[in-house]
Amino acid sequence: MLKSKGFFLNLIFFFQVLLLFLLFSEDRLALPPWLQVAGRLHPAVLHLPIGFLIFGVLLMLMEKQFKKKAFGKIALMVLILTSIAASITALFGLFLSKQGDYGLEALTQHRNSGIALSLLCYLLLLAYVYSYKSRFLYYVVGLLTIAAMFVAGHTGSVLTHGENFVMAPLIKSSQAALTAESSAFQIAVYPVLERKCVTCHNQAKAKGKFIMTSLADFKKGGKNGKEWVEGKPLESRMIQYIHRPLGDDDHMPPDGKPQLSASEIRLLEIWIGSGADVDKKMADLQDKDSLKIMATAALAASKLVKPKEKLYAFSPASEELVKKLNTPFRSVFPLYQNSPALQADFFIRESFKASSLDELKEVKDQIVVLNLSRMPVTDSDLAVIGSFSNLEKLNVNFSKISGTGLSSLGTLKNLSSASLAGTAVTAESILPVLAISSLQELFVWNTKITEEDRKKLAAEYPKVIIVGSQFIDNKILRLGRPLLVNDGIVKIDEGIVLRHSMPGVVIRYTVDGTSPDSVAASQYEKPFTLKVTSKIKAIACKSGWYCSEVFEATCFVEGLKPEHAELLTKPDKQYPGEGDKSLADGRKGFIDVHKEAAWLGFQNDPFSAGFSFGPNAPAIHTIVISYGKNLGSYLFPPETVEVWAGKSKGEIKLLKTMKVEQPFGYDPQQVEALVVPLTGTRYAYYKVVAKPVGKLPQWHSGKGKKGWIFVDEVFFY
Amino acid sequence: MENEFFKNRLHVTRRHFLGKMGLGLGSVALGSLLIPDLFTGSDDTALPIGLPHFAPKAKRVIYLFQNGAPSQLESFDYKPLLNKMKGEELPASIRMGQRLTGMTSGQKKFPLIGSHFKFQQYGKSGAWVSEMFPNIAKITDEICFIKSMHTEAINHDPALTFMQTGAQQGNRPSMGSWLSYGLGSENKNLPAFCVLLSRGRGNGQGVYSKLWTNGFLDSIHQGVQFSSSEERVLYLKDPEGRDRADSRKMLDNLAQLNDLNYKEFGDPEIQTRVQQYEMAYRMQTAVPELTDLTHEPDNIIKMYGADCLAAGTYAANCLLARKLSEAGVRFVQLYHQGWDQHGNIVGEMPLQAQDVDRATAALIMDLKQRGLLDETLVIWGGEFGRTNYCQGDLSKDNYGRDHHPRCYTIWMAGGGVKPGISYGESDEFGYNIIRDPVHVNDFHATVLHLMGLNHEKLNFKHLGRRYRLTDVAGKVVPGILA
Repeated sequence: MLKSKGFFLNLIFFFQVLLLFLLFSEDRLALPPWLQVAGRLHPAVLHLPIGFLIFGVLLMLMEKQFKKKAFGKIALMVLILTSIAASITALFGLFLSKQGDYGLEALTQHRNSGIALSLLCYLLLLAYVYSYKSRFLYYVVGLLTIAAMFVAGHTGSVLTHGENFVMAPLIKSSQAALTAESSAFQIAVYPVLERKCVTCHNQAKAKGKFIMTSLADFKKGGKNGKEWVEGKPLESRMIQYIHRPLGDDDHMPPDGKPQLSASEIRLLEIWIGSGADVDKKMADLQDKDSLKIMATAALAASKLVKPKEKLYAFSPASEELVKKLNTPFRSVFPLYQNSPALQADFFIRESFKASSLDELKEVKDQIVVLNLSRMPVTDSDLAVIGSFSNLEKLNVNFSKISGTGLSSLGTLKNLSSASLAGTAVTAESILPVLAISSLQELFVWNTKITEEDRKKLAAEYPKVIIVGSQFIDNKILRLGRPLLVNDGIVKIDEGIVLRHSMPGVVIRYTVDGTSPDSVAASQYEKPFTLKVTSKIKAIACKSGWYCSEVFEATCFVEGLKPEHAELLTKPDKQYPGEGDKSLADGRKGFIDVHKEAAWLGFQNDPFSAGFSFGPNAPAIHTIVISYGKNLGSYLFPPETVEVWAGKSKGEIKLLKTMKVEQPFGYDPQQVEALVVPLTGTRYAYYKVVAKPVGKLPQWHSGKGKKGWIFVDEVFFY
Repeated sequence: MENEFFKNRLHVTRRHFLGKMGLGLGSVALGSLLIPDLFTGSDDTALPIGLPHFAPKAKRVIYLFQNGAPSQLESFDYKPLLNKMKGEELPASIRMGQRLTGMTSGQKKFPLIGSHFKFQQYGKSGAWVSEMFPNIAKITDEICFIKSMHTEAINHDPALTFMQTGAQQGNRPSMGSWLSYGLGSENKNLPAFCVLLSRGRGNGQGVYSKLWTNGFLDSIHQGVQFSSSEERVLYLKDPEGRDRADSRKMLDNLAQLNDLNYKEFGDPEIQTRVQQYEMAYRMQTAVPELTDLTHEPDNIIKMYGADCLAAGTYAANCLLARKLSEAGVRFVQLYHQGWDQHGNIVGEMPLQAQDVDRATAALIMDLKQRGLLDETLVIWGGEFGRTNYCQGDLSKDNYGRDHHPRCYTIWMAGGGVKPGISYGESDEFGYNIIRDPVHVNDFHATVLHLMGLNHEKLNFKHLGRRYRLTDVAGKVVPGILA
């Protein structure tokens, strides 16, 4: 063996590198079965390095008994054997760690100490082989190796037997399951101390002679006596130390150790503030008590680690099968990763066939959630569902079942929730479902089951929550307003269409600006036409509802087109529109989009535009200026409007001046029509001038400032 | 002497060195046999995509986003002290140097102002709700209020983007996209992430498509915006003169062409496009079934209010959201605009509340009576809160509030959250959080947790690093989990 010293040294070196490599890429290991077997040998193999190492120690103690040369050979052999055994043990241990569910912290400790032990054994061997003059290094490494052996051994025992296994008979259990009956201290406060304090303040270390691991010691305090003053957190030494600056020698926990979070400090303060009671049960605290609130949160957090996952006894269906069962109209998928339980959903009523439900029989054991909402499922299909023995949740809302087939669901021993809303089931036909002992919730809203039936059944089956209609409101409500379907500028002969989505409503309307009432106003039956721009007002009524509020819209009707339209003043630089073109291009502006081609905006100058109708000018009875009203954005009706007219641009006279009524408060923003009635004389040229409001009124947030006018179109009729 | 030199192996020769190194590399090579994906460059931390990591509490989300930031002080966070101290200056000890928006930073005075609207306690939980929300008040025992939300942004765009994507700058995937990516689509006939918009009657703030972007995720995860018009999905109908069979034929041929292109360029977006065409084709059947309201029972119309029949209203969107969710859409995102009351709270907020109150309560109870509430998570809230002081001058009968990121209220109901509780608490001034703060990242982590996803494991490698919805932060909030 000693002749192949070099070989063994290389072999051991090889093991160490392998170990380190596997340690660092541990997350990605995928073990073939034969290596898993090797891993399971770890508990057997691990005794070898322990034995060799102890044997080695004994050997050293008896060095004097041997001849020098013989001792050297034996020692080398033992060290090589120790090192190989330690390496293999560590390697196998690493393999084993991938196969079981071990506590993360204990596992990490054991893995690291095991690998450290293997490395130390190798170093020990090297130290023995390469140090000629002094044995100092060798002894140091030897002691470290033995220490590592104890650590690895101990952490390993924690993994297999649990923490405090050895001392358990001597320690009183503090780890009873936490419930509302536990003391608030146990639930909320102690876990904080356990996380951040007890590593130093325990029986073994007892820093400052303050021990937190037993209640008696904890209450007694440290070397300066009691660590808190009941009810006065800020006078308590414990809290004062916590609040010292981090660099301070007395700061707790010491710099470099995990620090208390703000909420943890707050919790300790509240606990001391409430009298530092270690026994008071959480259930006895007032609901508004801060300690109770924090304890409740802590209790919830202690349960959080991972949501409870239900364990199923059945095996998963093959991936190919699940994949095969998926169609665009039927989704079949596991509830979550690695869960054998499947959910099946059906979509698109027209594509549903009874056979598509039948096909699920291939996974009848795995189906746990089944959603057939709105599918034309009939009572005969329920027999198929009855064969899904592990079904827990069934949704057949708004399907075609009448209830006669519900008895076939009696075989579902795990069904906990059934949704039958919107079906024809009755108080009698659902009895077989209610009889299922595992049932917890039954949804029967919008069925023939009345509220009285439901209450009766609920009394008979107290374990089941029977859910009926959830929004009972007998108030009479107001209908929504009717709508105008036409959009933009209406052509002269275009039908005006009013609409309401509620079936059976009567729409009444006016076009003369008066308010429609529910009796006298014209009833809308078919589209009607308009000759001039008008304000349409309409309401919708239906028995059982209040009539709607009045719908108002200005319907801009296409007018007579001038031959030429031009702007005589320039619009503001910010809102130039498309200049002359915007005046009569048939485009309406949107009331809340101001920088847009349709809008011509004026603030400092009045709006002034000329329109020429040429020699065959028509008689004009009305001019309509379409303007934007958005009071919040300073867009007001013009203050005054003037209309000039004459034979040509050069020969015009003032025809009419109008003062425009101004709003008295914020009102809805909309595009409005300013109607200027004329006499019907034929003129070839018109000039329309509209002056913006010089000073905004007192009630406006911009009082005293200049208003704007926004014009998108001028119509002539 | 020479012998002595060679004996001391610490004087390593090149031959020795290389020999040893070969041995070391050999062991690494052997070890690498146990790591199947070592050289394939696959992700070592990502879990397989398309299924929850663990048993989910909720399967779908309906997020009722109240865009513009509704005031918590007039809705669910009752602060009577503010009424008592009306007009008094906000104490510096409370403000603690909070930066303000440009809209009030120039203000010389910060007069406190309490709610103009009366509050009352409701339900077994005794939750305080303002008189503006009579219907939500009726269902407080289904609701989990989070009164200690806080965010980092103080203006709408970054705050909204942060709420939706976990980052204040745009171009990160939206929450719905992450869920679509992590959980896949339940119903292959509809997008997994749908977006519905409505406008209120108050001062509005825009919404923009970056809020429902897929970011760097595959574009199949992008939110699909439904139109607010009568035709909820535009251009879904076959054009005149073309029937379903023609469409089928056209799509098949197009798919062949796309396939050729894919073989040539290998761009995965080509395949996404093909899948989207297929889904659009199937949506032609699925969507009319959803948007058809004639099959809704009369009492449903009554529940949601008459507005639910008018396309583009919040009520109509709530009803549609319920139908989409019922049909397996993973994430339905609503935005209701108009909650930005810098002034005129008294005038505007009741209108906004009227828009949402009844339909919101109806949505939750409708889900409940169908047995869907326990698997659907409904979220209601805005992007930040509003200040406890008045913006501008405090007038006798009206006031406004500026943006306040440090503390606000949102609420959730259904899917795995504790019903009938209030989590977290603000101080008496409604300005700072005094208990159980919930950061936007924590909120995201919790929503993912409820959906069965570990927010630290749901990631996507992009430009050399892994991104998460919660990026490098976020803690699940255990106190609200049922």
